[in-house]
Amino acid sequence: MNDKKLIIDIENISKLYHMGVETVYALRDITLQIHENEYVAIMGPSGSGKSTLMNILGCLDTPTGGKYLFGGEDVSVMDDDDLADIRNRKIGFVFQTFNLLARATAIKNVELPLVYSGRPSSQRHETAKKALIDVGLEDRITHKPNELSGGQRQRVAIARALVTNPSIILADEPTGNLDSKTGEEIIALFRDLWHKGNTIILVTHEEEIARHANRIIRLRDGLIERDELNQKAG
Amino acid sequence: MTLVEFKETIVIAIDAMKGNKLRSLLASLGVVIGISTVILMGWVLTGLQSAMDETFRMIGVDILYIDKWDWAGGKNWKLARQRKDITFEQADLMMERLANAELIFPTARDWGGSIKHENLIFNGITIIGTTSNHGLTSAGETIEGRYFTQFEESIHSKVVVLGHKVYTTIFPDGNALNQTIKINGHKFLVIGVIRKQGTMFFDFIDNQVFIPVGSFVSMYGRHNRSISIGIKAGSEEMLDEVREEARGIMRSIRNVSPEAEDDFSINETKAFENQVATLKLYVWGIGIGMTILSFIVGIIGIMNIMFVSVTERTKEIGIRMAIGAKRRSILFQFIVESSTLCFVGAIISLIICSGITFAVATILPKFVEEAGFLTPYLPFQLLLIASIVSIFVGILSGIIPAIRASNLNPIDALRFE
Repeated sequence: MNDKKLIIDIENISKLYHMGVETVYALRDITLQIHENEYVAIMGPSGSGKSTLMNILGCLDTPTGGKYLFGGEDVSVMDDDDLADIRNRKIGFVFQTFNLLARATAIKNVELPLVYSGRPSSQRHETAKKALIDVGLEDRITHKPNELSGGQRQRVAIARALVTNPSIILADEPTGNLDSKTGEEIIALFRDLWHKGNTIILVTHEEEIARHANRIIRLRDGLIERDELNQKAG
Repeated sequence: MTLVEFKETIVIAIDAMKGNKLRSLLASLGVVIGISTVILMGWVLTGLQSAMDETFRMIGVDILYIDKWDWAGGKNWKLARQRKDITFEQADLMMERLANAELIFPTARDWGGSIKHENLIFNGITIIGTTSNHGLTSAGETIEGRYFTQFEESIHSKVVVLGHKVYTTIFPDGNALNQTIKINGHKFLVIGVIRKQGTMFFDFIDNQVFIPVGSFVSMYGRHNRSISIGIKAGSEEMLDEVREEARGIMRSIRNVSPEAEDDFSINETKAFENQVATLKLYVWGIGIGMTILSFIVGIIGIMNIMFVSVTERTKEIGIRMAIGAKRRSILFQFIVESSTLCFVGAIISLIICSGITFAVATILPKFVEEAGFLTPYLPFQLLLIASIVSIFVGILSGIIPAIRASNLNPIDALRFE
């Protein structure tokens, strides 16, 4: 179906939680493949399992059953340290609440993933600066988060996600805390990144946001309800 | 853990402390007190030790005193009281027979002597009658004038060599030589002053005057007094040999039967060392008790702050984990943070203690002469110990909060508000 490189290959994964005596299935037998340079929107009402799926895709959590290959590596059997390493090198996170370190400047925030991959500080600084320029924040490099607007903060977060040149960018409601105009700017930035060849997975409950993606996956009750290409994306 | 991460972690730790200056300062107060206690105690004991070593060195570590009394005192005192006095005759026999020693000299002591010069009277002086040989030991070294000679000794000359404290007390403006003083009413000519030897616990050493033994006898008589026989072995290596030789001779002189114990004591400066060791043990005991107590308070304080810090920064931990921090990086981050906190506490204590030691060592001896053994600086090894201890305490107090931080689930931590 796709001749591009396979990045995410999920086979029959499930996730269940024990709530007292009850067992709750957050995900049931999800099978999913995501290739390079796809722009996937994962949609669904709350309780549909989209957060759980997003956590598993982001290697923040492991499935209870099934198999998850990330770039050919079986991450469903990895330990915490290996998962941390995958998150560090292969995944860039963008969160609804930005999740920047309040005391650190924009560039220090962007440098952080490089610290954990052990890059020397001179290299770090250059790479982080370039990432900030790429998101249009060349004049906000030494500002702290509380000196930045919401849109600017999210741009810093996107720069932080991009700085390690990851295989996928995983965005969880990235416009949820922004006004609609700023939200549109951020969505435009994602589109640019997609056009530049990045692979983006975006979790949202807004149709308006999802329609920019070239593939929309709808979840309900822990199952994939619909998985369709969106020809209108662009 | 890479070097880059290590460096970065320390920067983060210092940053976090700067963010909460007052809180960090208060948290490290317990450690400051604990480390200050260790440092100050170590400082006093180091000063004491070196002062003592100096005194022993001056008295001579190769000197033995055969005596009725045991310097160590204590339980031996009752036993010693029943012993017969060592007489001048026995001392003479010993001097004739002992072959291996470098020097031997009898010392007859009278405690409670009184010295008068013009209007100044100094009571409670030890008057010692001895021979010119004593002047050849380091205990008999003069800083002014000279010791009496064999000739002066043989003619029972009325000359006296003053101990340092006696000299400074009755000759406050110096110029003791060729002055006449009265010892218990008898006129003596001052011919020399002994170098200062005493420190804090041994200042009695400087409260003595030395006169020829013949002059002593003409003042006090030959009887009702136990003579102590001073022997200089020549070197520390010779000490054992000379001691055993002297013991054998003394036993034969005093007709001690082979199975009986010695009816005399052979005293060495070591006897003082034991006493001082006991004293040091007390000081350490109290000090260590206080130190442990303040460290416990310090550890609890810092642990508490670290728990607060971990809770406050749960979200930060989640962010760090999400972007690739391994559990051990988080663990390390918080341990470094608590260690840095303690290390800063140690630096604060060092600064405070340097001030205290300098002030005390400069000012106190002006009022209390016995405090002269204190140095105005801290010994280097104490600084090293303080730094290491502080980091150790930091690790100890940071480890549990750090484990809690590193065991957080990244998803829950990210969700924390």
